[in-house]
Amino acid sequence: MAAMEIHFTLNGQPVTVQAEPDEMLLEVLRRELGLRSVRETCGLGICGACTALLNGQPISTCILLAPLAEGCEITTVEGLGGRHPVQRAFEEVQAFQCGYCTPGMILTIKALLEEQPEPDEETIRRALGGNLCRCGCYLKIIQAAQRAAALLAEERRRQPQPGPASIS
Amino acid sequence: MPEPGDNTHYAEPDPRVTGAIRYAQDVELPDMLYACVVRSPYAHARVLRVDTSALPADVVALTPDDVRSLGLYGCQIKDQQVLAVERALYIGDPVAAVAAATPRAAREAAELIEVDYEELPAVFDAVEAIQPGAPLLHEDLAISDNDAAYFGMRPEPQRNVCHHFRIRHGDVEQGFAEAEVIVEETYRTPSAQHVPMEPHACLAHWTPEGRLEVWTGTQTPFNLRMDLAGIFGLPQEHIRIIAPPMGGAFGAKTFVRYEAIVACLARKAGRPVKLVLRRDEEWLTLNRHPATIHVKLGAKRDGTLVAKQVTCWVNTGAYADCGPGVAQKMGFASPGPYRIPHVWVDSYCIYTNLPSNGAFRGYGATQAVWASERTMDLLAERLGLDPLELRLKNVLVDGDRYCTGEVMHDVHFADCLKAVAEQIGWQGGRRGKGLAVLLKGMQTPSRASIVVEANEDGSYTVHCATAEMGQGAWRAIRMLAAEQLGVPVERVHFPVPDTDIVPYDTRTTSSRSTYMMGRALVEAVRQLKENGELGYGECVNEGGLDPDTGQGIASTHWHQGAAAAEVRVDEETGKLEVVHLHTAIYAGRVVNPPAAQLQNEGSMIMGLGSALFEEIAFSEGQVTNANLSDYNIPAADDLPRLTYELIERPGAEIHGLGETALPPVPAAIGNALFSLGIHVRDLPLTPERVLEASERRRAAPV
Repeated sequence: MAAMEIHFTLNGQPVTVQAEPDEMLLEVLRRELGLRSVRETCGLGICGACTALLNGQPISTCILLAPLAEGCEITTVEGLGGRHPVQRAFEEVQAFQCGYCTPGMILTIKALLEEQPEPDEETIRRALGGNLCRCGCYLKIIQAAQRAAALLAEERRRQPQPGPASIS
Repeated sequence: MPEPGDNTHYAEPDPRVTGAIRYAQDVELPDMLYACVVRSPYAHARVLRVDTSALPADVVALTPDDVRSLGLYGCQIKDQQVLAVERALYIGDPVAAVAAATPRAAREAAELIEVDYEELPAVFDAVEAIQPGAPLLHEDLAISDNDAAYFGMRPEPQRNVCHHFRIRHGDVEQGFAEAEVIVEETYRTPSAQHVPMEPHACLAHWTPEGRLEVWTGTQTPFNLRMDLAGIFGLPQEHIRIIAPPMGGAFGAKTFVRYEAIVACLARKAGRPVKLVLRRDEEWLTLNRHPATIHVKLGAKRDGTLVAKQVTCWVNTGAYADCGPGVAQKMGFASPGPYRIPHVWVDSYCIYTNLPSNGAFRGYGATQAVWASERTMDLLAERLGLDPLELRLKNVLVDGDRYCTGEVMHDVHFADCLKAVAEQIGWQGGRRGKGLAVLLKGMQTPSRASIVVEANEDGSYTVHCATAEMGQGAWRAIRMLAAEQLGVPVERVHFPVPDTDIVPYDTRTTSSRSTYMMGRALVEAVRQLKENGELGYGECVNEGGLDPDTGQGIASTHWHQGAAAAEVRVDEETGKLEVVHLHTAIYAGRVVNPPAAQLQNEGSMIMGLGSALFEEIAFSEGQVTNANLSDYNIPAADDLPRLTYELIERPGAEIHGLGETALPPVPAAIGNALFSLGIHVRDLPLTPERVLEASERRRAAPV
């Protein structure tokens, strides 16, 4: 199969990569772009270790054909900078052991909190249905999600969003 | 402790939250090739011919002829060659391997190798495998010179038994004659997969001087080095093992896995070769020992235990690996933490044509506790006693002798039992509730050593072989060093272990590292403070058991804990719901509270998976659920109310916490079911088994 060129935005930067038409995005992110936070565990889209955000939604890159990323915005944990409120919450709570699933957990929780800023515990558990942690850190991951919600709420209070334009 | 929201104490974000951590699967060298393994489709077959003629010229192939002259290996019994040279012994046994420029090219090349086999009769069940006439897996059972073969091994040649461990304590016949009540039952526990999120990964490279360098996710760098030295006929010092942090291990990443195959490919290719397993191959690499356990327990009418006889048939699969050790530990855990004057244990480690089974979090205790603690509840029911009272009447206390003859110290079984009973509301009614208690040994004998070095910038570096697999050992050792050196933990560095640099350590198993390295560290820091530059310390625990009597020192240090569960059952469907799970674990002294909590939570959650649904399904030796869709592990939404306590005592020793909470969980849940009259003998507690047991009870005469 002839390699093809794929263009997308990765962590805010436009990128062009070579890929086989039948390759999964995970392989391309690791091989062509050197990203190591996306990791293969199940290869079936079940475990979430390969999670990235595609236009803000968590997806399993191990089952997304790379050409389907054409023109999309892809975010991996490398793009969060290390001090994102969800990352800070994970550090504070120490919501990880081996750390292999952690990037996927962080991205899933980030996407959840953008949709539902104040999720209850049940909602968090359900949202994590596609992210497995064999070390069994779930209790602390749920706590980290709750803590991240609080940190994000605090940020919103400090930087109020512009309201509807006032009539002068 | 920092205030929530205060992140200033973190110099750099943790590499686990930024994705910057580098595991073995991330290691790369220039010009490296990628490996793929060719596996036997037969459970037992003679390998007649391996044909590589269809391979492209740039692919390197490894065939039986390449490895025939290399040394046999095996951490306890030398029963394995780098590839299956004469006979393949399980479905998935490596018979050839390739290395190619890309992972895809390697997978495609592996498909092009043709192997001719002559199929042979196979056996899969451990009890059947020791019947006369069963197919024999290994002709010779030489005991390994690896120091993982640390106890007297009793292989039985011309029989599929690679070890027979015995406990002979008191006079068991007399004991049963004195007993007023005897209960007897046979239990089965299945094979399970560790499912580390990071698969096995390794990279091998030969230097121009002929040294072998291996980067691999391993808990056992020195044991691996010993076996590789034997395979290649090299001095150990000519082999260098570098052990990056692992994305989970749970016992799976021990001893030689694929390092020898990759090293052979690298030597033949003259280039570095890397292998990362596909997920389905994990089920063909190392699993948990299935076991059949028969228990006979005798007591007086008042509940005083007088005699116990246990037989364990421990299925180690095609190669022994550390199965003899697992059979030994299952054997000495199976009497349970009780005073019993007459004990007789036979634990057989048995070859079958299944993939190899080895170390798995709990190391034989999970199977033993299931059988032992379920039987305690059978006895309590027969005697009309409260299962908690029965246990408290017999449980070991300080100064008691265990059935191995050793005197027990720092004993907290009763505390753990009382704590879980209280938290589960035992006094408020026992219906739907169950308890279990565990004792688990720590690797004995063993040796840990550590070097602490002062750096010019005022920081310190710790050199030790302890492996990091998520359990937090590196952080715990850094914290202990920082405490003793009087510096912040950020000033203590812990480089990735490299056998060229770090001093010897037995291995990172049996929840021993924080305890053993913590003790070695005290001397190292003392020396460093004396000379200002460098300190060395070591910690040795002496002991061991006579394999023929089970007498001696099983463990210099016992892991102790208890679990309690509350369950509900839908008797129409057999669906079992765990409402509340609580464990109480003796921790002695906790070094790093969040990590200790995480280890305990993770153990409980893995125990929940073992209790409710984890089981490798085989059909004539073929794994039929080798993927995470058909083999389920617990997810966030599977958790019941989950609570626990880590019991500390002022001035107490550090106790490893990696494995203590797992083994009692299935037994506590099984006993909770039994309190509803549903007696399930086999794990996991699937709706089918619960329904069947429930119907059996309804059919029974009242």
